[in-house]
Amino acid sequence: MTKARVLSMLSATALVSMMVVALPTAAHAADPACDGKLTLNSCGGVTSDGAPYAIQVPGNFNGTVILYSHGYRPNVPVPAGIPGYGGYKVTNTAETAPGQSGGNMAITQYLLSQGYALTGSGFARQGWNADSAVATDVELIGIVKKQFPTTKKVMAWGQSLGGFITQALAETHPDLLTAAAPMCMAAGTVENELTMAGDFLWGVKTLFDPSIQGGNYAAGAAGYAQAMGDLVKFFTVLGKVQAGISSGAWPDTSSATGQALAKAGIPVRSALLLIGLMSGINTQSAHFDSISGPAGALKLAFPLAVSPALAVLENGANAGALAILAIQDVEGQSGGAIFDNTKTDYAARVATGSVVFNVALGGDEAIAGMLGALSTANPGAPRATGNAAAMAKMRALIQHTGKISIPTVTMVGVADPITPAGASQWLADKYAAQFAAEKAAAMSAYKTTGAYVPPKKQLVSIWSTTPASYTKFDATAAPITSTPAAPGTNHCNFTTAQFMVVAKELVSVDKTGGFVAGSALATLVRKAGNLSVDPMYRAPALKFYE
Amino acid sequence: MIGTNRRKLLVASAVLVTGALTLSAIPAQAFSVRNEVGVTSNSIKLGITLPMTGAASPGYNKIPGAMKAYFDYVNANGGVNGRKITLVVKDDAYTPTASVQATNELILQDKVFAMVGALGTANNKAVAALVNPGRRGIPDLFVNTGFSGFADKKAYPTTFSLFPSYIMEAKIMSMYIKENFPGKKLGLLYQADDFGRDALAGFKTGGVTFDVTVPYAPLSQATPTTPPTWITKLQAGGAEVVVLFGVSSATAAALGAAYAMKYHPQWILGSVGGDATAIKLAGVPAPLFTGVQTASFLPAPADTTDEYVKLFQTINTKYNPGATFDNNILAGMNTAFVTVQAIAAAGKNLTRKGLITAIETKGSTFASAGLTPMAPTATSHAGYNGYWFGTYDGTATLKPNGGVYTVYTTDSGAGAVAKSTYKRPAMPVNGLPTN
Repeated sequence: MTKARVLSMLSATALVSMMVVALPTAAHAADPACDGKLTLNSCGGVTSDGAPYAIQVPGNFNGTVILYSHGYRPNVPVPAGIPGYGGYKVTNTAETAPGQSGGNMAITQYLLSQGYALTGSGFARQGWNADSAVATDVELIGIVKKQFPTTKKVMAWGQSLGGFITQALAETHPDLLTAAAPMCMAAGTVENELTMAGDFLWGVKTLFDPSIQGGNYAAGAAGYAQAMGDLVKFFTVLGKVQAGISSGAWPDTSSATGQALAKAGIPVRSALLLIGLMSGINTQSAHFDSISGPAGALKLAFPLAVSPALAVLENGANAGALAILAIQDVEGQSGGAIFDNTKTDYAARVATGSVVFNVALGGDEAIAGMLGALSTANPGAPRATGNAAAMAKMRALIQHTGKISIPTVTMVGVADPITPAGASQWLADKYAAQFAAEKAAAMSAYKTTGAYVPPKKQLVSIWSTTPASYTKFDATAAPITSTPAAPGTNHCNFTTAQFMVVAKELVSVDKTGGFVAGSALATLVRKAGNLSVDPMYRAPALKFYE
Repeated sequence: MIGTNRRKLLVASAVLVTGALTLSAIPAQAFSVRNEVGVTSNSIKLGITLPMTGAASPGYNKIPGAMKAYFDYVNANGGVNGRKITLVVKDDAYTPTASVQATNELILQDKVFAMVGALGTANNKAVAALVNPGRRGIPDLFVNTGFSGFADKKAYPTTFSLFPSYIMEAKIMSMYIKENFPGKKLGLLYQADDFGRDALAGFKTGGVTFDVTVPYAPLSQATPTTPPTWITKLQAGGAEVVVLFGVSSATAAALGAAYAMKYHPQWILGSVGGDATAIKLAGVPAPLFTGVQTASFLPAPADTTDEYVKLFQTINTKYNPGATFDNNILAGMNTAFVTVQAIAAAGKNLTRKGLITAIETKGSTFASAGLTPMAPTATSHAGYNGYWFGTYDGTATLKPNGGVYTVYTTDSGAGAVAKSTYKRPAMPVNGLPTN
């Protein structure tokens, strides 16, 4: 397997989304310019904070507008040659529905055909922009209502950071929305999102290349140069780790701590896996299921000992790159270092993983050796210390409460490497507690009024699941990584049919006031494929909460 | 809306508990009887995950056939309360992540009533963490592992052990060593994971100190150059008695390497690594078993004087033709037998909750082939609690030392090891539990 093959798995399409909806050339601040076509009236403009937006109103407009918030786009250009992101230029082009960035207009066409108007902006600022993006979305709703006075309802959805923005909008402005669908969402806070990525980056730096700065970047252009340098180093050393998974060799840039582990006979794949487990990186990735092995001698050994590390490599490439770009961005907004693992108990975090992946980690002795090497007791593994003032400022950025007061649909891949399913699980858990309290209140009211009015369930959680097994091997027993990513893996890796399930839930709420549920929902998800609405499914919690 | 009926049912239950409220406002459907998943008026569907293929499968892959044979025997005799039992088998190749996938399939696609006999410590831990049958209320019966943690009801609310714990085994083995090999230099070769860690805890409590300790990483036995390094260390340490707490493939590797290196200590195998079928399939000839000792909690598979062994052999011949009767067949049938006992004890109105309650309240009196009682209670999901020791002969047949089963019993804590006074109750008529 070549370096390029694994690193090509970076989900640049989800992170760096581009818009295909054409904007009218006459757009100007606040007042949309519309082409006035009867079958599809396309409008564009710029909000007061400078965010370009688009509005599409079909001729059979039914009075409901669906607002889309796009996902994370780096707020800095990325030089050519860097895997995944190379050549990226900052853009604030508007998107009005999922799929458009990849040229898939099926969801757009379906909703327009149903009489729904679509809108969305490109936001004035890229990077972590939830605070300003919520304000932009609120303003855009007002613009749409003013321009199209027959608008009766607005529903919101979004992906990744757009999912975070959607949930934040629903929490802060429930009066504006009829329903919400945060998909493959970041949830809670920017801090918990960056913790996974930051932990992984710290582990790679600490063991494989201590010259990686890994945060605490300088302000301005100097910090940008440091971050881009880190990206190059990060991908370079991951390439060396990848080579070492076969050869056993550790990168030549390994730290003294890493070299000591290598000398103790610990394979580099075990160290990589441990870093992944302590960060919460999923052990199933686009091409590695940690289940399958090639026919022959490696049938058992490959899934037990090798595949989990390769999965962490594929997923970790996404996580680490995000860490560099987003940490540099949020540090810039906060004024200093915002990743701090001085009190992180990595041993506790791998308590379960060290059992499940005991073989791949090399057994108890190896695990103990690695955890000791990464503990606070080892001066050769210095922890990252955050800047208190900067962290306080970061924590002042908009956060979710987890409260749900309008019908909400979530969907996420169970092996999403950027916004782990645990983020959506966090929201589900928050809502479960809220619903239990609402039931208790209903019961309490029943005791006094004699009439029981059950609370209405407001959340449907949809999980995009991985196939039973999916790693493929060639005739030489080498894993094949040139095929499309498996369902349930990669970031926001949904099929059109899966997006349609969410769209149909929104349509159902709009038309009936309730979700598609029961057997109808079961049929819908079965036909879409690789989806589950099992209410008892639980995604592992983000390590931030452990 | 998802879960509407379930919510109403729960609400109704809460109302009934309060006792002081009228029922008029509660929807009528709240009182309807919900069909339990995997149960109909004439069937019960169970599921198991274990290695049916791959390096870890020899021996273990005979277990489902044995379980099915016993279930077929019960079904041919009318089933349990008129319900016939089917067993869905999923191969996990001993890979924890595959166990998670397979268990999810059993629960979501096959819609089994309960899991039974799932094999492997890491596998069951992975399933507990990532599938969470405990939170779902899905019975996870009689797991095929002796990891002591699975008896912890708080951590694993619906999981039940059957095997004595590895801690118990090590404690009992400690007494056995002290009684039979005083003054000998002792060596320990163990698998460096939860399995071996349980054993270390047991030996510590049991008061045995080893002169040479050799941990090995799981699966490292598959690397041909590794087992000789174990033997070198044991030889260098002068170990005269070597305890091996590992899987049978490690036993085979160790016995083979020791033979090649002309090292002949007294081997004492933990019960997991003492599977003659698997060891022989790994290439160890029967004569090398001569004098090797091991522990067991079931009667010896060749002991046809035992009524369970005798019945199980008959069932195996009829319902599992072609499968040679050995300890794997015996263990599989016994697991199926205890499962039938538990289902029968849960009564005609079979529910997952009722099954769990039945084992907690009646499990300690269940009939089975075990030579010690089971020990489940409302607060502990422990299984059997004792072992006897035997010695293999040159045909790889295990026979109890002295010709009688001298059973020792203890717990997974600080309790003493004592000779068991347990007298196994007579087998139910025709080997068909009724309550």
